[in-house]
Amino acid sequence: MAHKTKRLWKYQPLKSSYDAVIIGGGLHGLATAYFLAKKHGLSNVAVIEKRYIGFGGAGRNTAIVRANQRTQENLPLYREALQLWPVLTKELDFNLMFHNCGNLNLFHSEAAMKAARLNTASGQFHGIKSHLIDAEECKRMVPALDISDRPRYPILGAMYHPPGGIVRHDAVVWGLAKGASKHGAHIHQGTEVTGIEVYKGKVAGVHTDKGKIKTPRVLNAAGAYSADISSRLLGAKLPISVLTIQAMVTQPLKPLLNHVVSSGAYHCYANQTLKGEIATGAHMDPWPNYTNETTAHYIKHQAEALTEFLPCLAGVKFMRIWGGLADMTPDMAPIIDGNEPVEGYYIDCGWGYFGFKSSTVTGKYMARYMAEGRCPEILKPFALSRFKEHRLMGETAALVNYTPDN
Amino acid sequence: MSRTITCPVCGRRNGYEFRFGGEDKGPRPEEEGMSPEKWFEYTHLNDCKAGIRKEWWFHRDGCGVWFTIFRDTASNREVVRPPERELEAVP
Ligand SMILES: Cc1cc2nc3c(=O)[nH]c(=O)nc-3n(C[C@H](O)[C@H](O)[C@H](O)COP(=O)(O)OP(=O)(O)OC[C@H]3O[C@@H](n4cnc5c(N)ncnc54)[C@H](O)[C@@H]3O)c2cc1C
Ligand SMILES: [Zn+2]
Repeated sequence: MAHKTKRLWKYQPLKSSYDAVIIGGGLHGLATAYFLAKKHGLSNVAVIEKRYIGFGGAGRNTAIVRANQRTQENLPLYREALQLWPVLTKELDFNLMFHNCGNLNLFHSEAAMKAARLNTASGQFHGIKSHLIDAEECKRMVPALDISDRPRYPILGAMYHPPGGIVRHDAVVWGLAKGASKHGAHIHQGTEVTGIEVYKGKVAGVHTDKGKIKTPRVLNAAGAYSADISSRLLGAKLPISVLTIQAMVTQPLKPLLNHVVSSGAYHCYANQTLKGEIATGAHMDPWPNYTNETTAHYIKHQAEALTEFLPCLAGVKFMRIWGGLADMTPDMAPIIDGNEPVEGYYIDCGWGYFGFKSSTVTGKYMARYMAEGRCPEILKPFALSRFKEHRLMGETAALVNYTPDN
Repeated sequence: MSRTITCPVCGRRNGYEFRFGGEDKGPRPEEEGMSPEKWFEYTHLNDCKAGIRKEWWFHRDGCGVWFTIFRDTASNREVVRPPERELEAVP
């Protein structure tokens, strides 16, 4: 049978002017372009991507989605993000493969259980389902778990969060690109933004290696590269450190892990993909850098950590390992701001290793922000000014502190 | 080559023995004339430069000394102190 392939998004020539230019064809950039074009009638929009869409964290993440954060500011955003997957799957007419398997956060100390009690209660206050379970219940849910006192950090219990799970990350990239293109947005791959033009305190355009573009609005959604762009092109430094984070998958196995399982104490999380591989991610590398290098250190670390609480994985082979960049802020929450330091300049970055799950909802509100010029309530807590006022968000609590400092 | 960092006391050691201590931002600002803005800049803001920069490290699993090195964040490797003229942008 003749099979005709059709591109999901159109190739367009680079125009000399757009109503909005988005730097970065990652999750946040594409989502914002989609909602600008679809909901706000701003279809004269360009997404400028240095390499190819999904080159950054968008194509490298481990695809975990959840809404069991700790703070009042974060929870509503992540709750809405979870609700959006089925809606977008329909709207984009693209299977995003939301696998609603639920997340199990393992705890190995009374202190961690106590901290989780606050997370659970805060979630419940916002109508988000999470509850604490003891070790026996963990074992009933995931029989492969070792709940004996053999591991260095025995399992005391867990926070079970049924609404979370896994979404196919590449599908989100392609689906959003398809949707944005369908509503008129242009996607320019292989094009690098090299300058931002400011005239009388307002954004006037951007320079790219393929030519200049006039525009009154620019969104910096360049993921891990956002802070470098902001400081190099606008002289506006950000409270960000860029670190590598590595992930890997094992050979495919018969089904044994029907939830996302994570352990802060072991710096390790894992889930079984629909193909059967165990996908697992680790703690971040301790050095800021812009490479995507992997190290033997983490292969050993993951093998040790995983086989502590899932001893049946001993001897299983890792098939692939890769690295990506995480733009970390000091309080594990993103920086979302607009018209700072110049009018028409918007920023959505600092998403570290947790910006996949939030990408679509942030794009939705970011688009409104850019179309109306006023910051939607839900995004207000993430303004850069919180660091000046020393009102950092308490997203880390007694959980492991994922900063470049440890 | 593996990722190593040169401790002034112990010499070149595996990078995972060390803890990163931040970009070198010069001396801590004086208390006199201190403002929230200045403190914010000193404590939180980073250049995040892709290239050679000077930074602080701590030999955590070693002798415990704090020191500065030059490192290229684009290659993730320690480099020798670059010649002055290339150093312009490095604090
Ligand atoms: C290994 C790993 C595991 C992760 N696991 C999860 C997870 O399980 N769940 C979760 O929620 N999050 C996870 N994340 C985090 C998530 O992937 C990121 O937070 C997310 O991709 C950020 O999206 P973004 O759109 O801001 O940036 P990106 O997706 O990184 O996109 C930025 C884009 O900007 C482009 N760009 C850069 N500079 C320029 C320029 N000058 N001009 C034009 N374009 C430019 C880049 O090429 C890139 O494509 C993980 C990340 C990694 C690396
Ligand atoms: Zn030493």
